[in-house]
Amino acid sequence: MKAGGKILLVDDDPDFLEMHKAVLRNHGYEVLTAMSGREGLERVRAEMPDLIILDLMMEKHDAGFSFSKTLKTDPLFKRIPILMVTSVAEATGYRFSLEEDGYWMKTDDFLDKPVLPAVLLDRVGRLLEKKDENP
Amino acid sequence: MSTPARILVVDDELGIREGCRRVLAEEGYAIELAEDGMVGLAKVQEKPYDLILVDLMMPGIGGLDLIQRIHELDPEIILVVITGYAAIETAVEATKRGAYEYLPKPFTPEALSVLVKRGIEKRDLRLEARRLYQEREQRLLELAGEKSRLRSIIGCMADGVLVTNLEHQLVLWNASAVRMLELIGTDEPGKAIGHYLRDPALVDSLERIMNAKDEGFSMITQEIRTADPSSVLMAQMAPVRDEQGRVLGAVAVLRDITKLKEIDKVKSQFVSMVAHELRAPLAAIEGWLEVVLSGEAGGSEEQNRAWLLRAKERANSLLALVQDLLEINKIEAGKVAQKMESVQLTDVLAKIIEFFRPEAGRHRVSLRMKPSVAPPAVQADVRDMEKLFTNLISNAIKYNVENGSVTVETSQDAHFVGVHIRDTGVGVSSADLPRIFDDFFRAETKKRDKISGTGLGLTIAKKIVDSHLGRIEVESRVGQGSTFSVYLPYNK
Repeated sequence: MKAGGKILLVDDDPDFLEMHKAVLRNHGYEVLTAMSGREGLERVRAEMPDLIILDLMMEKHDAGFSFSKTLKTDPLFKRIPILMVTSVAEATGYRFSLEEDGYWMKTDDFLDKPVLPAVLLDRVGRLLEKKDENP
Repeated sequence: MSTPARILVVDDELGIREGCRRVLAEEGYAIELAEDGMVGLAKVQEKPYDLILVDLMMPGIGGLDLIQRIHELDPEIILVVITGYAAIETAVEATKRGAYEYLPKPFTPEALSVLVKRGIEKRDLRLEARRLYQEREQRLLELAGEKSRLRSIIGCMADGVLVTNLEHQLVLWNASAVRMLELIGTDEPGKAIGHYLRDPALVDSLERIMNAKDEGFSMITQEIRTADPSSVLMAQMAPVRDEQGRVLGAVAVLRDITKLKEIDKVKSQFVSMVAHELRAPLAAIEGWLEVVLSGEAGGSEEQNRAWLLRAKERANSLLALVQDLLEINKIEAGKVAQKMESVQLTDVLAKIIEFFRPEAGRHRVSLRMKPSVAPPAVQADVRDMEKLFTNLISNAIKYNVENGSVTVETSQDAHFVGVHIRDTGVGVSSADLPRIFDDFFRAETKKRDKISGTGLGLTIAKKIVDSHLGRIEVESRVGQGSTFSVYLPYNK
């Protein structure tokens, strides 16, 4: 597998940051981490990652939404794919689907927590490939 | 007839009096005699008679006067006038004044007998009619009383009541219905129900319900929303029927279920919050196990062991959370689970401070109890008190700064024992202050991420204090520390 790419993890749970970082690093990705939406935006601006993995529920319940909205409306960053990782769907009874909510959620894909390492690697690989196909 | 009819003969001629007595006594009547009008009137005033035979031509009070005065005393007495042919016109005059019939002299015993018999029958009819009339009056009176009783009872009900007739006109309602539905113009009853309601949607649902063709004896239950969006009514409707089961109209009973709906909502919010809080550590545990089992992170044995320890830490926090939830449940069960006894709070506090001394040392925080006069004992559950002050003192240590301090102090006023826990810690912002006792609320601090906790510690503290009829207060400033004060009532 072709290694490469800089991935930013944004999550307020240190366990998820660390476990995703361990898996991705082991597969050759460079991994940055941030524990809040604000810190995440700072890192995006400073480091220009190739992909962002974002937890929906952070310090405030809509932090994930506003984070992705900020990036997707900025011409400089809107092409960075965002993979939303969330435990919202089942825990709160809200239903999300990319077809219905993708437009206003402004993310490229999303997964339920916890994410199997194999699934995580697969989605990350595909999002990065798609990005390379449409430069 | 069980008692013989009583007859009075008023005549100045002894022959007539005696003749009448003999004839009528034989028929089984009770006969009395009077020789003139004055004597006759006195007897009538003394006791009741069924029939009176009166001679028109008498000295003293004349027959006509006597008839009139007797009639005034008892209009149902049958008066029979005895008169000569010469006085026929006077007899006619007498009937105008209330006499029943006249008997021209001379008369045969048969004529007397027949006339008296008819008169007595008439008397019985008149008495029966009077009895029936009085009975009817009584019934009407009772009915009116029943109706007003019913109105009073319905008027007192907290539930709203509306009754319509077959023409869907509003015929009965109470004050609660007026309040709940904001009825207007109820001073003019008997109009269609829509006349009294402002809200067309409500008119529609009430009319539909009240008009429902219902062959059985079923009942319809439906939720209704009024113009006020925050209030919800539960309406229970049924047809009103007479004894034969014919529908006379419809009744609707309205109950305000706004509070129940709110409780329902709060409960499901709590459940969803709990589910989320349980899921986060569980997902982390599963995530770590997956990372180790799949080998995708490629860790060494030592590294894998460290990751499994992380999973174990989350498992411990999950267990603590479940324990706190059970604790909340126990407190909310109230008296069932609490064992109230006399508790000296300084003893409880001293024990907890001793327990926390090592942890305070690890955090480089000094922990001490400020000496003061021992306050009176309070009635409390010892385990609850331990949990309460454990939570508060543990927070004061956890959210403190290096080389900070935690001071515990007691106080006393006329009704309450106060316990004050003062820390020199990070403090709580004024924006967060009103929410710190909410379920799962954790104040946002830079330090927070390293601080373990379920987010239920202060919730539990507040619930314990509430269940002991006390109060809990907090004063705080960011960067300067917080003081939590608990006040518990004591018996003098």
